[in-house]
Amino acid sequence: MKYSIARYWRERHSHYRLKAVRCLDCNRVNYPPSTICRYCGSKNLEEIELFEQARLLTWSVIHAATEGFEDYKPIIIAIVELVDSKVKILTQLTDIDLDEIKPGMLLEPVLRRVSEDDATGIIQYAIKYRPVLKRGD
Amino acid sequence: MKPEENTGIVGWGAYIPRYRLPLKEIVRIWGFSEETPKGLNTIEKAVAGRDEDAITMGWEAALNALKRAGIDPKLIGGVWFGTESKPYAVKPSATVIAEALGITPDTMATDLEFACRAASESLRLSIAAVASGMVKYGLVIGSDTAQANPGDILEFTASSAAAAFIVGLSKEAVAVFEASYTYVTDTPDFWRRAYIPYPLHGEAFTGQPAYFHHIESAVRGLFKKTGLKPDDFDYAIFHQPNGTFPLRVAKRLGFPKEKVLPGLLTPYIGNSYNASALIGLAKVLDEAKPGQRILLAPFGSGAGSDAYSIVVTEKVLERQAKAPRVVDYLNRKKIIDYALYAKYRNIIKKI
Ligand SMILES: [Zn+2]
Repeated sequence: MKYSIARYWRERHSHYRLKAVRCLDCNRVNYPPSTICRYCGSKNLEEIELFEQARLLTWSVIHAATEGFEDYKPIIIAIVELVDSKVKILTQLTDIDLDEIKPGMLLEPVLRRVSEDDATGIIQYAIKYRPVLKRGD
Repeated sequence: MKPEENTGIVGWGAYIPRYRLPLKEIVRIWGFSEETPKGLNTIEKAVAGRDEDAITMGWEAALNALKRAGIDPKLIGGVWFGTESKPYAVKPSATVIAEALGITPDTMATDLEFACRAASESLRLSIAAVASGMVKYGLVIGSDTAQANPGDILEFTASSAAAAFIVGLSKEAVAVFEASYTYVTDTPDFWRRAYIPYPLHGEAFTGQPAYFHHIESAVRGLFKKTGLKPDDFDYAIFHQPNGTFPLRVAKRLGFPKEKVLPGLLTPYIGNSYNASALIGLAKVLDEAKPGQRILLAPFGSGAGSDAYSIVVTEKVLERQAKAPRVVDYLNRKKIIDYALYAKYRNIIKKI
């Protein structure tokens, strides 16, 4: 096994629910969450969740992935801006073809498999973003 | 008063993956007759993407059920996950979903297996747990990325989808469980041994002694218990291993085709095993009107069937638009070929 199980477990809420922390001194959001504000050094933080729709800002396509990620190629890494909180996060896009990607498109969070530690190790799950499902009414 | 009558569905949700494999692709690759998929009354089957599995699909169905229920996830006291395609052989799927939806840690959570019927057994368990007052709400999920031996007749229909229901007290419900009845026997119609990647089935044995006998016995048992008859129901939803069996069992029980078609999804998405009948129920709830009565009869090989009488309340109307409907997922589709399907479903052997 190559992955740190302890790390995956420790980070599960930021992977599963986009848990973050807001700094009560400078009001900035730290994602992934940290114990000290990366912007002002304050320890005065509150837990929040960023589970919300987002707009696509920019992206990059990875055709040569590292071990554990190969089967998921091409991997689309994206920076998205969350619609309500305006926080920008790094994520992956899913359920989309490369020729369908458009800057500014509206996306929604979904839980997906991210990688596997061989056929015997743990499966890592995390939030990715996909185009918002079209609704009939 | 029967214990079921105190309980009902407070939220429902479904999920169908984006990809569809036209069954003519299976004809092309394996040399079947073009008549074979026609005999199954199925055109395409839903295929989960490479980054999807029973956990991720079950998560989305459950998220939709939570949106409709509008309850605090922490009030859920049991998460029951029915599947026969667990991502891990040992390690519960239910805990991943419970953690991801913010239900943990004050809850029961487990995965159940009974071929295509585990989620229906979960539904009966949740009714018991809620009716007894042991839990306030139960979350029932049926989710499968059904496997089939490539080139086997089962491959035409084995598909991927999920459905989820939050069960609570009847006073909050969009649909009340009026009665339920279960019929099980030891019938070897379909199985998969440990370490073997694909299930086997008893060919013709899967029909009369398995599917038809168990569903008909469960439904007749429900009729006997309640005094209800086919005319009392507005919809009839049966386990749907293909597009023809549900119509045939309906006819044998005295239900017209028109009551079956609204909840019959296999012609468009294939047989999603634990989600098969339940996604039919989700679609019917998406469009049902207060006062209507639904017959639900899932089936699982091995074998067993449950029959439920479910009565829709006026609360259904306010919750139908609170989450995507089954039709929204049906309309979102991308056609793929056999090669991409083989990659997505991990059929290609790599080392
Ligand atoms: Zn700060």
